[in-house]
Amino acid sequence: MGNRKTIKKPLPSVQPKMDEWPIYKAYNKKEQFLEKVKSQVLLNSSWINKDESTLRYEIKNILYEEKMRLSKTPWKSDNPKEKIFWSEIKQKIRNSKAIENKEGTKEIDEKILDDIIEFYLNEMVANFKISSFKFAQKALPYVYSRLINSFPQIVYKLFSSVDKLYDRMKIVGDIDHIRKLQEIGTVVVVPTHYSNLDSPTIGLSLNNLGLSAFTYGAGVNLFTIKSLSKFMHNLGAYKVDRRRKHRLYLETLKSYSTIALTEDVNSLFYPGGSRSQSGKLEKKLKLGLLGTVIDAQRINLYNGNGKKIFIIPVTLNYHYVLEAKKLIDNYLKNKGKENYMEDENTTSFGLIKRAYKVITSNPGMTVSFAPAIDVFGNKVDENGNSFSNKGQVIEVADYFKLNGKLVRDVQRDSQYTQILGDKILQEFKENSVILSSNLVAYVAFQIIRNRFSQFSVFDILSLPKDETIIKVSEFLPKLEAVRTKLKKLAEDKKIILSSDLDFEGNKLMKIGIEKVGSSHPKYVLRLNKKDEISTQSMKLLYYYHNKLSSYELEEQS
Amino acid sequence: MRKVAVIGTGNFGLALANLLAINNRVLIYARRKEIVEKINSREIHKGQNIHERITAVNDFKELTDQCKLIFPIVPSSNFKDMLVQLSPFLTPEHILIHGTKGLHIDVDIDKVDRLDKTQVLTMTELILKETSVVRVGCISGPNLAKELSANQIGGTVVASRYNEVILAGKKALNSHVFRVYGSNEVLGVEIASVLKNYIAVAAGMLEGMGYGDNSKALLITRGMAEMVFFGKAFGSSEKAFMGLAGIGDLMATCNSKLSRNFRVGYRLAKGEKLSEILSDLNEVAEGIKTIKVVKLLSGYGFNSPIADALYKIVYEDWELEQGIEYLMNLPVSDDTDFFTQTY
Repeated sequence: MGNRKTIKKPLPSVQPKMDEWPIYKAYNKKEQFLEKVKSQVLLNSSWINKDESTLRYEIKNILYEEKMRLSKTPWKSDNPKEKIFWSEIKQKIRNSKAIENKEGTKEIDEKILDDIIEFYLNEMVANFKISSFKFAQKALPYVYSRLINSFPQIVYKLFSSVDKLYDRMKIVGDIDHIRKLQEIGTVVVVPTHYSNLDSPTIGLSLNNLGLSAFTYGAGVNLFTIKSLSKFMHNLGAYKVDRRRKHRLYLETLKSYSTIALTEDVNSLFYPGGSRSQSGKLEKKLKLGLLGTVIDAQRINLYNGNGKKIFIIPVTLNYHYVLEAKKLIDNYLKNKGKENYMEDENTTSFGLIKRAYKVITSNPGMTVSFAPAIDVFGNKVDENGNSFSNKGQVIEVADYFKLNGKLVRDVQRDSQYTQILGDKILQEFKENSVILSSNLVAYVAFQIIRNRFSQFSVFDILSLPKDETIIKVSEFLPKLEAVRTKLKKLAEDKKIILSSDLDFEGNKLMKIGIEKVGSSHPKYVLRLNKKDEISTQSMKLLYYYHNKLSSYELEEQS
Repeated sequence: MRKVAVIGTGNFGLALANLLAINNRVLIYARRKEIVEKINSREIHKGQNIHERITAVNDFKELTDQCKLIFPIVPSSNFKDMLVQLSPFLTPEHILIHGTKGLHIDVDIDKVDRLDKTQVLTMTELILKETSVVRVGCISGPNLAKELSANQIGGTVVASRYNEVILAGKKALNSHVFRVYGSNEVLGVEIASVLKNYIAVAAGMLEGMGYGDNSKALLITRGMAEMVFFGKAFGSSEKAFMGLAGIGDLMATCNSKLSRNFRVGYRLAKGEKLSEILSDLNEVAEGIKTIKVVKLLSGYGFNSPIADALYKIVYEDWELEQGIEYLMNLPVSDDTDFFTQTY
C-alpha cells in the first residue's frame, strides 16, 4: 500500500476481453437486470404495502408531482411520450374507482405501481456497446487534449498534442493497488466535483488506469442532442432526473445503483451531489446513492459470493475552472440555500459550446487517487483485506452480523453510510493536491482580508481595485509563511503538495499568478512591472482561495 | 439462554451483572484471579450476592469469543488501558454498551491550563478510536449500585446511534425490577452522566452546610441548566438532559448519601480536607476531576457558574460561603434559558 506514482501513458486493460466486463454482461441481459432492480425497489419500499389506502394515496401523489413537474419545469430532454403515460395512469386510477372499497383494488394499484417503476427504469437504464467504448477510447484523448492544450494549433499538431496531454494532466495514486483490487472486487470511484469538465477528466483517467468501464448517473438535461445522448447511453450512463424528488423515484434510482454494484459493475458517483459553488472542498455529502454501496456489500455477503466493494476517493485539482465565475456568483447569491435547479439550462449543446470556449489555454490539472477503502472506510491491502485503524484484520461481514447472523437493518446501515461519508471527506482533504495557483490565490486573498479584518466577506469582495493591490515585498513573506505551514501538513500526510511548491519563492509566485484561473476574461491575479500584484475579480480570487480555506491556516498564518 | 459479558467488578459492575443474570447467562471479567475465584465460589463480594448465572473469567479472549454483547463498567481513568488490552479480541460484530460516567482526557489535566475539544473524549468516542467496534452505546441513569443490588425497582436509559444496540440493551436488561428506556441522544446522555457528578458534590456541600430542600431544588434545576449549556456547546441537544440520565440521575445523586460525589461535598462542608476525603474513598469521585475539566474547557464559551464556584472552593481555597455568595449575586436570567440559548 501507499506507492503513489504518476501515470505517463494509458495502461493496458486489467481485463482485455471487453465482453467479459461486468458492465457488458449486466447491460447485455437488460431484462434480467431490470427485473432484479424492480424486486429491489419493492423490497426497499416497505411503505408501499402498508394498506390499500396508503398505496392509492402514494400513487395519486406521484401522479400529481409528475404532472406538476411536466407543467412547471418542462425540459427539452423530456420524453415526448411521457404525457401520454401519465394520462393513462390517471385513467387507470379513475377506472378503478368504480370498484374502490371492494376487493381487487390493491391488485390494480400494485399493477399501476409496477408500470410506474418500469417506466422509470426504462427511462433510466444505461447500455454498454463495445464499439462505442472503443471509439471513445480512441477519440477522447484527442478531443480532450484539444480542450486543455493551447490554441490555436495547426492540424498536424493534433496528434502530437496527445503526448503533451499527460504533461498537463497528471494522474497520480497507488495505481497498481487499484488495478489489483479491480481483479478481485468491484470498484466505486467517488470524485470531488468542481466543473463540468470533471466527467471527461475522470473518464479519461479511469480508462488510463486500465479499469473496466464504469456506470454512472448523468442528469437527463445532458441528453438533449440525440447522437450524443445515444453515445453517452452506450457508454454506461444512466439517466437521473433531479427534478423528481418523490420516494418511489429515489428508491428506484438507489436500487438501480445497488443492483449494478451487486452485478459487479464498477460505478462512479459524485458524493457531493452538484459542483462545489464556492471552490471549497466538499464539507457535506449526499448520502443517498452512497448508501447503496453498503446495501450492495451486504447483499453480496448474503448471496454468498462475498465479492468486496472498494471505494476510491478521487480529488480533481485544477488551476482553472471554466465555470468558476457562474459558480461563485451563484454561491454568493444563494449563500445558505441549496440551488437544486442550477443545471436546468445546461444542455449537452451548451456543454459543447462551453467546451469550445475552453480551447484557449489551460494550465492543466492533477487527478489524485486516494488509497482504496472498504465500504466502512477501512484501509485495504493489495489482496483486498480490510484493516482497522489499529492494524487489525477485519471481516466486513461482521458489521452486518447480529447474534451470528447477517441481518438487514436500514437504520444501522444509514449510520454506516455516515461513517463512510466522513471517511471520504477526510480522504478528499488529505489527498487534495495543492497547486501553485491555489497557494497564490490564498495568500493574496488573506493579505487583503487582513487589511480589512473588520469587514465581512461580502464587503471585501466589493472593495475598490486600489485597495486590493499587493506589493511583492508584502506578498513573498506571507507566501513563505503559508508554504511552511503547508509543508508541515504535507509531512503529517494531511495534504499533498504539487512539485511547483518546491520552487524558490519568486518563481513560485510568478508561476502561480500565471496559472490561477488563467483563461477567465478578467484576470484573477497579475504582476506588473512596478512589482505590484492586482486582481480584476475579487470574486474569482475568493473562489480559487477557497480550496485552502478548509485547512485552518488562517489563525496560524 | 443468551450469554452477555460485563467487564469490571466494582459496585456498579456487579450490580449490573446481577440484573443481567435475570435474563441471560453472564460472564464477568475480573483482573485479579482471587476475585475470579471468589465470584465463582459465590462468596458475597463488595456486599453483593452473586447470581447463579454469573461466571467470572480472567481471559478477554474467552469473554469476547463467547459474548458479542459486552458491558464495560470500568472507571474512566482505567478505561483506555482496559480497551488497549481488549481491542485485539474485538471485531465489528461486537456490541459494547458502557456504563462509565466519566471522560477520557488525553493529557494530564494538572499540567495544562486549557483543554481543546479534541483532547476530551467520551467513552463512546474512546471505544471508536481504540477498537474496531462501531456499534457502541452507553447505559446511564439513577442507578445507585447499592439500591440495584438490593433488588429495588429502578430504571435506566440505553443510548446509542444504533437502534440495534438500544434494542440489544433493552432485551438484555429489561426485567420486572428494572425498566430500560432507549435514546439516540448518546452524546447528551454521556455528557449528562459526567456533569451531574459535580452537581452532586455541590448538593453534598449544601446538605453539609445545613441548607434545606428549597436550596437543593434550586441547585438541581440550575445545575441541569448548566449541563444543557455545556452539552449544547459540544453539539448535543437539550433532550437527553430531560430524561433519566439528566434530571433522573441528578435527583438521585443529589439526594443520596450513597453517592460518592455527594459524600465528598458533604465532608468538605463539614470541614474535612479534600486530600483526606479522597484517600478515604475506595472508589473514584469523578466530580472533583470534572470540576477541573469544565474549567479547562471554559474557552468554548458555555455558562457554568456552579462549576466556577466549585473550582474556586476546591482548587483555590475559597470558603464555601464565598461560593454561595458568588452564585447568589450573579444576574438572574430567564427561568428556562437552556431551551433558547445557542452556541
